Amino acid sequence: MSKSKNKKGIKRRKFLKYTGVGVGLMIGGVWAARNSIRRKIFEVGEKLILPFQGDTSSPLLWLQVTPENTIILHSSKVEMGQGSFTSLAQLAAEELEVDMDKIEVVHAETGSGNIDGMGTGGSMSIASLWLPLREMAATMRVMLHTKAAEKLSVSASSLTASNGIITSGNQSITYGEIVEGVTDWDIPDTPILKERSTFRHIGKAIPRVDLHDKVIGSPIFGMDAEYPNMLYASVVRSRLVDSVMSNFDTSDAENMPGVVKVVKQKDFVGVIAESYVEANNARLKVIFDYEPNQLWNLEDIEKAITVGNGTKTIIQKSGKPVEDIEEEGDIIQIEFRSPIGAHAQLEPNGAVANYVDGRVEIKISTQVPKVTRDEVAKALGLSKDDVNIIPTFLGGGFGRRLHTPNAIQAAIMSKVVGKPVKSFFDRKQEFQNDTFRPPTHHIMKAKVSGKNILGIEHQFVSGDTMFNSALDPGIGSIIRADIGSIRGGSIMYDLLPHRSTYYHVDLPFATSFWRSLGLLANAFAIESFMDELAIQTGQDPIQMRLDAISNKTSYSIRTKNVIKACAEKAGYTDEITNGKAMGFASTIDTGSPCAHVVEVSMEGEEIIIHKVTVAFDCGIAVNPDQVKAQIEGCVCMGISAAMYEKMDLKNNKLYPINYGSYRMALMKNTPREIDIVLIEGTDSPGPVGEPPMGPIGAAIGNAIRRLTGKRLTELPLQRYS
Amino acid sequence: MKNGKSSHLTLSSLIVIGILILGHLTAGNRELDTDTKKSQSPTESYNKVMAVLTHTRCMNCHPSGDVPRQGEDAHLHYFDVERGPEGQGLTGYTCNTCHQKENNNYSGVPGAPHWGLAPSSMAWEGKSETEIATQILDPERNGGKNLKEIEKHLTEDELVLWAWEPGVNAEGVLREIPPVSKQEFIVAVKEWIAAGAPIPSGQN
Amino acid sequence: MKVTFTINGESQSIEVTDGNSPLLWVIRDGLDLKGTKFGCGKAACGACTIHVDGEAIRSCSYPVKVAEGKNITTIEGLSENGILHPVQQAWKELVVPQCGYCQPGFIMATAAMLSEISNPSDEDIDKNIINVCRCATYYRMRKAIHRAAELTSNNS
Repeated sequence: MSKSKNKKGIKRRKFLKYTGVGVGLMIGGVWAARNSIRRKIFEVGEKLILPFQGDTSSPLLWLQVTPENTIILHSSKVEMGQGSFTSLAQLAAEELEVDMDKIEVVHAETGSGNIDGMGTGGSMSIASLWLPLREMAATMRVMLHTKAAEKLSVSASSLTASNGIITSGNQSITYGEIVEGVTDWDIPDTPILKERSTFRHIGKAIPRVDLHDKVIGSPIFGMDAEYPNMLYASVVRSRLVDSVMSNFDTSDAENMPGVVKVVKQKDFVGVIAESYVEANNARLKVIFDYEPNQLWNLEDIEKAITVGNGTKTIIQKSGKPVEDIEEEGDIIQIEFRSPIGAHAQLEPNGAVANYVDGRVEIKISTQVPKVTRDEVAKALGLSKDDVNIIPTFLGGGFGRRLHTPNAIQAAIMSKVVGKPVKSFFDRKQEFQNDTFRPPTHHIMKAKVSGKNILGIEHQFVSGDTMFNSALDPGIGSIIRADIGSIRGGSIMYDLLPHRSTYYHVDLPFATSFWRSLGLLANAFAIESFMDELAIQTGQDPIQMRLDAISNKTSYSIRTKNVIKACAEKAGYTDEITNGKAMGFASTIDTGSPCAHVVEVSMEGEEIIIHKVTVAFDCGIAVNPDQVKAQIEGCVCMGISAAMYEKMDLKNNKLYPINYGSYRMALMKNTPREIDIVLIEGTDSPGPVGEPPMGPIGAAIGNAIRRLTGKRLTELPLQRYS
Repeated sequence: MKNGKSSHLTLSSLIVIGILILGHLTAGNRELDTDTKKSQSPTESYNKVMAVLTHTRCMNCHPSGDVPRQGEDAHLHYFDVERGPEGQGLTGYTCNTCHQKENNNYSGVPGAPHWGLAPSSMAWEGKSETEIATQILDPERNGGKNLKEIEKHLTEDELVLWAWEPGVNAEGVLREIPPVSKQEFIVAVKEWIAAGAPIPSGQN
Repeated sequence: MKVTFTINGESQSIEVTDGNSPLLWVIRDGLDLKGTKFGCGKAACGACTIHVDGEAIRSCSYPVKVAEGKNITTIEGLSENGILHPVQQAWKELVVPQCGYCQPGFIMATAAMLSEISNPSDEDIDKNIINVCRCATYYRMRKAIHRAAELTSNNS
């Protein structure tokens, strides 16, 4: 419990000092020390919940009291389905002592000054605002009390408050009345936060605050945003990777019905028209040449993504390379691969921009309002204060909306044509201009002697996740520490001599964040291999894992508890029962351990997933039902990616380019049962949105191994002969 | 120098023989003559008809299972849509949920009146031409049609004739049409039926 | 050309230059009903699902000229007199939506199915509900569909 702002301030300063060291020593020392610094960053990055990177000094930036006596929470974390708005509302309502139906959450415009330096992602929204938002709400409560005492001419100690009404004797005043006419507020020291035992909202399964809007189809998404007299635009994008577009001929496009203007810029061509259909039709008439820099097919990508290529970083080195272990034993080696993955979020990327007199306002589905603002300001030569980003509800984020060039394009087009412009990708452009989950290759090795694992090693290579991302915390790209790709790549079995080496390769198309980043693929390799070791050394896979994890840190202990809880809840067995087999896997990601048991059977070549049992420890579950919703979503989206999804590349053309041909899990591929055990292993909320995805690929692979004897080593797992 | 008349006769015989040989040579393959005025043998007519019916445009909606096929590679229709009780899809969606009475250039979804699957009794997938032809002619399996009605269906039904105007796919690419033109097909159907719809023996 | 139809109980007459224009855009931009969504424009994802004369139709693949004389319902018109449709009620009870973008399409597809199959089995749901949800809320949707069937039979 925080007693004053100073305690929080100290934590923040510690983090900044850390990166300050890196930057400060850049001249000279750090290049030589880069490997150990990389390792430290990885270690810190895997567990660290970054403090909120924005202004939490004044509640007035975040909390607004309306004359109708309701609270509006202005959130600089966006809502993309992960339930951030609801849990943040619970935190604020708790300390403000109001009922949930009195609080509404809206996206904070960047122009308000409530700006999130990091962006929404990394499963950190609730974890990073757990204390700051509660502190601001508690501070506001004190401010309201103080002002109420003034207005009622009573002492503050005589006041009692309930659901937005403050009473003293037979006088009462609402929050709405308290703030009326007040322009100057003193911000007091942060008061003591509420005791856990008094929580009315935190820890409860409150229905989502955006629930009603989402079942009646309210126009809350980026694609729904509008301005009066708005025009529609469609931009030309490359359909080929690593190719230069040139010789644009827009004469046919310009003559198409409804076209207002065709805009030719250095790096895009935009067709602006009276309607979306007309803009799109005309855009398809723009003629240009492609010049591939090089021919690319999938096999070229797979050749590049092979262990040994790229910039090498040793992530863990407590053990020797397996080949160098001197003791007698047998070496077991398995290679694994994962494909290029598309985001395929349902709402296409785009923006609605209104440029007027040297200022621009943009309504956009973005995970990074600050980055969007800064990039637009730079591209248009404006000051950041002259750009206002209004985030909308996102129709899916998953890491795709960390890159928002659509905002720049819409802003430029609005400036050129002198009217608001709505510009969106179509679905083919979405698939061919995605910032994909990078493909990976893994070599798992171990040396065993009887039941003893003498050493285990993970070597892996991935395309870029973080360097070309706007979220790269600077230092990372300087010393090539791609915190994203290595997520889940460390071996958590610390009682075994273990080693993990990562190789980074840049690919000729954009790769970036995809829900849980490297976790899905890395866990597939490591946890499939652990299961294989159990089978080949004749051990129980659960006990083998438990015996390989120490009690050194709270993370280790929490991980073991999760493993035990999952195996117990599922009744895990190696036996095949009624044609069904079980598979187990466990991971710890950003500090939240998770384990899955998957029950599968096969019908011909078809893998059927009947049930998934999940044990998950995110510390305090601010909203247990929404934690479960995220787990269900991770399991089903994980099944989709692990079982069916893959992108292909032929003659520089990425495909498939639509749903259907890009096969995904649907209703019929959803398990009939998802059984969840929530464990509270620590006394604050931890990451939720991504960690539960970790174990799913390996758990399915392990179940198939038990069922058929065959070890599947490549995602996607569902194949047909 | 030979007598003019006799050399003329010889030349004519040679030409007739030549034509007969040519006709025989072209009957068994798909490089079919596009001269519709030329009268052809029932076997030639049959071969033209079957060349159309076994093309993907037709085969895709005469599957042996419950899921249509789609595309030039005849993959299973995405999303595993099903024939349903009447070949018109199920209820959360029907064929008409996506397919209308005309091709749709915006979505790339093909369309024609009464879009749907042929009944299971009219499944052609995996069958030989002889089997397909036999099936078409069998009133027990063709919906009780006699020869005249079969001819009318094959030459006038809008869904059948759609094969020659199949529209563009989702990428804006025109779908392939059968290797025989619509006009030729109609003539071939009529001539084959007129000849009693014989199925040549010794063919697949 | 002029196209006249009833939408959510109201008669509308729209002037269009291109009769083949997808009904989706007339609904969204012409009539300002934003609940029906654009996901793919190729009838693959189902986010654009509406009812035309009671049947599920993917409006991105439905020319506006074909809407002449039809009775159209969008998500905005599914509830009657402010009372949510049983599917919407069940969706709320089970707290189904996450990002919410695909949900109107699923709700419309489900409502169409329930009007024909009043008590669907899991297999019925698997076969009939084929829209795409990237947040993968299918697990709760299945429960909500059963609950909606229950609510519907309670009402009748």
